[in-house]
Amino acid sequence: MDLNLNGDELNTCVQCGLCLAHCPTYRVSGDESMSPRGRIHLMREVQLNNAPVTHEVLRSFETCVQCRGCEPACPSAVPYGHLMETTRETLADAGLMTPWWQRLAMRPLAHTKLLGAGSVMVALAQRGRLVPKRLGLSVDVPFTQEPLRASGTDVIMFTGCVMDAWQRDVHQAGQRVLEAAGFGVTPSGDLAPCCGALHAHAGLADDTRTYATNMMRTLSRGAIADASIIVDSAGCSAQMKDYGHLLGTEAARRFSSRVFDISEFLALHLDRLPEGSQLAGTVAIQDPCHLRHVQRVHEATRTVLGRYIPNLVELDDDGLCCGAGGAYSVMEAQLSGQIRDRKVAVISAKDPDLVASANPGCSMHLGAVGVPTIHPMELVDRALHG
Amino acid sequence: MSMLEKARRRLGDRGARAEPATDDDRLLSELRLALAPDRVRFDGAERSLHAKDASVFRGGVAGPSCFPVNTEEVQAIMRIAAAHGRGVVPRGAGTGLAGGAIPLGAPIVVALTKMNRILSVDTDSRVAWVEPGVINLDLTRHLTPMGFHFAPDPSSQQVCTIGGNLANNAGGPHCLAYGVTNAHIMAMEVVLADGDVAMLGGLDPEPAGLDLRGVFVGSEGTLGIATKIAVRITKNRPAVRTLLLSFDSVSDAANTVSGIIAAGIVPAALEVMDHRITVAVENYVGAGYPRDAAAVLLAEVDGLDDGVGIDADRIAEIGRQHGATDVRTANDDNERALLWKGRKTAFGAIAQIAPDYYLHDTVVPRSELANVLEKVYAIADNYDLKVMNVFHAGDGNLHPLLLFDSREPGVLERVHAAGKEIVEASLDAGGVLSGEHGIGVEKQAYMDRLFSDDDLDHQDRLRRAFDPGCRANPGKVIPMGHSCADIQALRRVPTGVWG
Ligand SMILES: Cc1cc2nc3c(=O)[nH]c(=O)nc-3n(C[C@H](O)[C@H](O)[C@H](O)COP(=O)(O)OP(=O)(O)OC[C@H]3O[C@@H](n4cnc5c(N)ncnc54)[C@H](O)[C@@H]3O)c2cc1C
Ligand code: SF4
Ligand code: SF4
Repeated sequence: MDLNLNGDELNTCVQCGLCLAHCPTYRVSGDESMSPRGRIHLMREVQLNNAPVTHEVLRSFETCVQCRGCEPACPSAVPYGHLMETTRETLADAGLMTPWWQRLAMRPLAHTKLLGAGSVMVALAQRGRLVPKRLGLSVDVPFTQEPLRASGTDVIMFTGCVMDAWQRDVHQAGQRVLEAAGFGVTPSGDLAPCCGALHAHAGLADDTRTYATNMMRTLSRGAIADASIIVDSAGCSAQMKDYGHLLGTEAARRFSSRVFDISEFLALHLDRLPEGSQLAGTVAIQDPCHLRHVQRVHEATRTVLGRYIPNLVELDDDGLCCGAGGAYSVMEAQLSGQIRDRKVAVISAKDPDLVASANPGCSMHLGAVGVPTIHPMELVDRALHG
Repeated sequence: MSMLEKARRRLGDRGARAEPATDDDRLLSELRLALAPDRVRFDGAERSLHAKDASVFRGGVAGPSCFPVNTEEVQAIMRIAAAHGRGVVPRGAGTGLAGGAIPLGAPIVVALTKMNRILSVDTDSRVAWVEPGVINLDLTRHLTPMGFHFAPDPSSQQVCTIGGNLANNAGGPHCLAYGVTNAHIMAMEVVLADGDVAMLGGLDPEPAGLDLRGVFVGSEGTLGIATKIAVRITKNRPAVRTLLLSFDSVSDAANTVSGIIAAGIVPAALEVMDHRITVAVENYVGAGYPRDAAAVLLAEVDGLDDGVGIDADRIAEIGRQHGATDVRTANDDNERALLWKGRKTAFGAIAQIAPDYYLHDTVVPRSELANVLEKVYAIADNYDLKVMNVFHAGDGNLHPLLLFDSREPGVLERVHAAGKEIVEASLDAGGVLSGEHGIGVEKQAYMDRLFSDDDLDHQDRLRRAFDPGCRANPGKVIPMGHSCADIQALRRVPTGVWG
């Protein structure tokens, strides 16, 4: 079956195996079929040798967290993320992956109002203990929230979908920090309801293309037409930086170049950040995969946090994934849990007071087993505003 | 089970049904009973994956794959295999470059990756007990806070297993001063082909009796499966100095290496990379490797502060005498780590130039390095192939890499022919067949170039003393005609669509 993969991209893998140890699913399974090298081999067999797409082949692809930890580990620069996204897109189109109920579940993401209603239901259910524990929802979803207000047009603060409805505190902290550095902020709100990351991971790239096109239109008009777009969720910023590749147009590439992760942006304007106070306690940095492996800007978190936190500690696992992976923690609960167990052990070895993570998915996933997580911007906000 | 699941199960069955029934079915159900159903696999996808390792050899055919979690399960697998007359191939991370883990004739593949616990560390006696699936670098990471490391550091150390290191007697850049894996294995528990367990070697400095430990190290899985390993751990040196020397020719670099050793210096590592590979590596790591040098020499010395400084200065001096155009010292740990990351990912970086490579691994006397290298370049030229050289220069261990694109018709024949000439040039210069990657299936055909019929018969007899049925990693190392492969015909099994 033609998976629509680019033959040259597929051919760059020399099967050396150096990526294996950086793959969370290989780490917990020890199984080649759950490794990057294995998955690439299966893609080749299917596309080039017409091998059948069996249940096991699909399992191999489905169990990939799409953390892209294998990419920086690969000396041959195999574009694994793109290979896997295209594979999933082809298989989803062929009806072999991502069943209808999963697609339906993603619909509300683009409709903030709908998601808002959904969140109220989840909040009610959580309080009534109706949400099954294994869903791993650890954040208390709030009933009502203070809206974000515009303070200027220097930068756009992307508020997204899941994040906005569930973790508005983080946006507010981020906005206060940006303002303390002297930037006037326009929250994107209804202008840009969803980045489409979850859809792209599930193989529904057409949906993502639609969101991208809309967002590019609404955020490229009027006073904010050229403003930098600041994102505080690593999964979203990674996706938005990929629009250039996804749509393949000059406009999309230009749009992508306006996108910054919030720590990345602040690290570039470090001189504008006020002194603030030093925070006590040990903080371990847990890099979200989409910050470290995809955007490769994780050093910025250290640069910014280092100003306010003397006791920053690194985890000893080369940035191995925590197993959250967007919808992965729900779809592949068992594997995801095993990957998290590993991460928790690595965190415990450092015995930190708090774990800083710049992605809501990771925070919720780790929080569900009692790891005290916090967004880096909440820490900076604390240092600046007490 | 949902509709989708059911539909997909049927898909899965179709793959499996291409196999011959009965004996395999019985074998499978016995294995599943002894281990756990989800730790025995026989689907087309898994078989196709386990038919390969990091080498260029194709044509492996895997039987069932098992993932044991303890010695008892490995014993059970061996006994079941014996009862069914099937071979058994141990597999670590599958990074072998000589095809050692490639299954020939549909044997049971025993993946040891789930046996990955560090069992104990004793810093007083400097020994750690580990399971075979522990990743080499994980062990060193575990030891770092205690001030120790595991000395053998193959370039694949971030992923290869201690069991695989033991079986291939792996080397690495720092084995120049510290010795290859053999020097760091004290004892091991092994499961023999009949399922019995034996303890080889011991923690005493001079264990009594025959050195069966030494026989097992480097046996490439043909004597049994190591299930627990006592490794020697090495104290970290207080001072390290890393130098990067650039040259206008590969010979200058090679001659510098001879000069350093002749001067009586024992560096921790001496590694040479030629122009092409240096550029590829620099593209990946950005460590500051010169893009215009014909060759670079990475030299490291370690020990006490004063001595290290003196040795480093002398190495720089010798380098300049041999025409070094630039000598640089790494300023800090970060810079050093980056330089090493570059060297250690060299093979992997090759896809930037060509999608396939065939890596050779021969050893020549150090004094012949420059000569043999010249021949290697000439041979590659002759066959119209690109070649790159990256090698453990201190040991005279050459790693010429032939680059090609396997989609090009006829290219494999040229690659093999050139490879053969390279090996012969090394042997003619007084070298040996393998520095560290092993014989596997790769070098079998050359064994009788180096060993007499008598030698080979003895090797075969030694092997049979461990494994009379010749079921441990069948068809490997000892060439046909001298080996069990003659006697016990390897099974010919149709592979189905998923071959
Ligand atoms: C990029 C790259 C760089 C490399 N650099 C080096 C280097 O610098 N030096 C070097 O020496 N090698 C190097 N290698 C080769 C390879 O990594 C080593 O030989 C390594 O020791 C293999 O370990 P593995 O776990 O991958 O074993 P595998 O490839 O899975 O197996 C290797 C052999 O060991 C046997 N085996 C595995 N486990 C056991 C066990 N528990 N008991 C008995 N037999 C067993 C297998 O049957 C097989 O014959 C490199 C490979 C790559 C891809
Ligand atoms: S993806 Fe890269 S690191 Fe992994 S096996 Fe292929 S070439 Fe090697
Ligand atoms: S994306 Fe993550 S889970 Fe998927 S193969 Fe790469 S490292 Fe493994």
